[in-house]
Amino acid sequence: MAEFSPGLEGVVAAETAVSEVDGANGRLIYRGGYLIEDLVPVATYEEVAYLLWHGDLPNEKELEALRKQMAGARRLNPSARGTLMAMDAQTDPMDVLRTVVSAQGVAKSLTKPTLDEAIALTAIFPTIVGAAWRRRQGKEPVEPRDDLGHAANLLWMMEGKEPDTERARWVDTYLVLLADHGLNASTFAARVVASTGSDLASCVVGAIAALKGPAHGGATFAARSMLDKIGSAQNAEQWLTDAHARHERFSGFGHRVYRTYDPRAKILREMAETAAPDLYKTAARTEEVALKILHEAHPERPNATNVDFWASVVLSGAGIPKELFTTLFATSRVSGWTAHVLESLADLRIIRPASRWIGPQPGKKPLQLAKR
Amino acid sequence: MTSAYVPGLEGIVASQTGISMVDGQNGRLVYQGYVIADLAEQMSFEEVAFLLWEGRLPTRAELEALSLELAGHRSLTQAATIALDALPMDTDPMDILRSVVSVQGAEHKLEKPSVPLAIRATASFPTILAMFNRRQLGLEPIKSRRELGHAANYLYMLNGKESSPEIVRALNTYLVLLADHGMNASTFAARVIASTESDLISALVGAIGALKGPAHGGAPAAVIEQLELIGTADRAEQWMRDARKRKVKFMGFGHRIYRVYDPRAAILKEMCRRMNPKFYELATRVEEVALQILHEEHPERPQSTNVEFYSAGVLQAIGLPKEFFTPTFAVSRVAGWSAHVLEQAANNRIIRPQSEYIGPEPRKPVPLAERA
Repeated sequence: MAEFSPGLEGVVAAETAVSEVDGANGRLIYRGGYLIEDLVPVATYEEVAYLLWHGDLPNEKELEALRKQMAGARRLNPSARGTLMAMDAQTDPMDVLRTVVSAQGVAKSLTKPTLDEAIALTAIFPTIVGAAWRRRQGKEPVEPRDDLGHAANLLWMMEGKEPDTERARWVDTYLVLLADHGLNASTFAARVVASTGSDLASCVVGAIAALKGPAHGGATFAARSMLDKIGSAQNAEQWLTDAHARHERFSGFGHRVYRTYDPRAKILREMAETAAPDLYKTAARTEEVALKILHEAHPERPNATNVDFWASVVLSGAGIPKELFTTLFATSRVSGWTAHVLESLADLRIIRPASRWIGPQPGKKPLQLAKR
Repeated sequence: MTSAYVPGLEGIVASQTGISMVDGQNGRLVYQGYVIADLAEQMSFEEVAFLLWEGRLPTRAELEALSLELAGHRSLTQAATIALDALPMDTDPMDILRSVVSVQGAEHKLEKPSVPLAIRATASFPTILAMFNRRQLGLEPIKSRRELGHAANYLYMLNGKESSPEIVRALNTYLVLLADHGMNASTFAARVIASTESDLISALVGAIGALKGPAHGGAPAAVIEQLELIGTADRAEQWMRDARKRKVKFMGFGHRIYRVYDPRAAILKEMCRRMNPKFYELATRVEEVALQILHEEHPERPQSTNVEFYSAGVLQAIGLPKEFFTPTFAVSRVAGWSAHVLEQAANNRIIRPQSEYIGPEPRKPVPLAERA
């Protein structure tokens, strides 16, 4: 039997054409062979979703058809709406998302995942996120707008007013950047669920469940919370030095895959300067000091600002409250999750690894209750 | 270091565990050191759940405390009750379970997995299923009875009357037998989710999604359906040889691990003989023919009756509708899932394997207006 590699680090668990993280060279490649920095200037989230699902970018007609299909799938069905409205308004938005996606996706009998389902599930996320946020604020959810793009509709559903194009563009770029990232934990969870022959909603619900963890999707929230505690650029050195002395981890730093600067973090860093000028100053100084402290502590480790750090600044600039950060991540990644599930159907094999027994020697006899 | 791609992670050690061990060579299933045959007909499900969570069998006082805790958490929250009623009557009960467990466990803040939370979740599964079944039948929900054990109360809430001791014992044995089984796909899904430091409910919801797949827990209803098609023992050989020519899969056969007869199947088979003679007569003949044909086709493969084959006969004898077979599997396995989540959380590392990129080499994207 093979060696045990904790966290399956270095173990290849799937072949995929959906995306590739080339950590050594700091490259993220999306399906079709496109580098993330080349896609950002030319493609919206809908185009990238199309790319991940189909393998190439859509032409104008194909994009129009996809936009129409997504706009037509933005309304909750009665069971999902009933479930949403039954939930306590202060529920963690990720729990709302997990539950309402599950309710939206219920079916009479098991069906094989399809592209149409992938499109419909992707389209519904902003509706749920927006409604969860409005209910948290004591407001009624608003109806989706068919004439807005995916990112703009998301802001509309949160705020009930049409966002300016710049904010919508920031959100859109964030959604493009986070749409897929190799075999990360949530994508892997989706593929494990898919491997049993289960349905697409089950896969997506499992992925949401995994993304919720602070070691995965929850990291953007943690990064923003740390910046809140630091407060200002001049406070950064003191705060980080103290935190390091207390053996606290710096949120937004550290990554298993990249050996160089994360290409997504680089793009977000540039956007952050315009999107959130004040927070940018605090963040830039924080990054500088954090990298210095981390380098002194572990000179052998590579540069480690991760995507969550700069995403937290850009999303803040776009007006997204930090309580929604993880749901925004999910809103983006659902296209990648579904693309992976659809890809895995071509050669479905149950993912059932082995485990190493570290319990007591088998064969001990149970004592009767009265003798214990 | 990256190792070669192993489809389905077959033989790859993904975790160390002291909860259960599947010794496929010798046909042994071991819970925390105890061989399943020594537990199956002597222990209550509650005792086995305690064993899986705490690593030892409970004393009388501990068992009483656990039983009380379980009985005290059988009611659904208001949100879960409303959600259950909002979902369509003809929904797949696994989708009901996935959605309502998600509502029932929704929180304001992220909670660390704990035994009390495992107890709460485990207590709620039978209630959700029983309430839904009664709603489908147009019957009022039944309040749980504190003095009844887990198996007895599930049946009581389904039927509105107490079941015979024999039936209760049979369900209890089934629940004990299925409570854990090494690193199966749903348990692994739960551990992947937990590895991101997500919460217990998220891990359970993901596991339900994985269990739903026909390659995992979704097959026992199909066993009954196939036996119904075969009809009688004397028709078995003809039907099955014809079916094989049409590439029909024999339901309830084949698994990756056991080289000898699955010890759970042996116990369930004997229960079928006592409780469900009609099923037993047909099923044993079908098993005989299936193993014969499978052996002719693949003489190198081991005997392969799986646990679902005779589970179907036991659950039928208990009086469960076949749509509730897989959900009842979940009623049992939730104990094991929770134990694995606790174990993962106690010594965690994010499960993030690698993928092998099989897409095209990097190239430049074409702007929308220029795409063909």
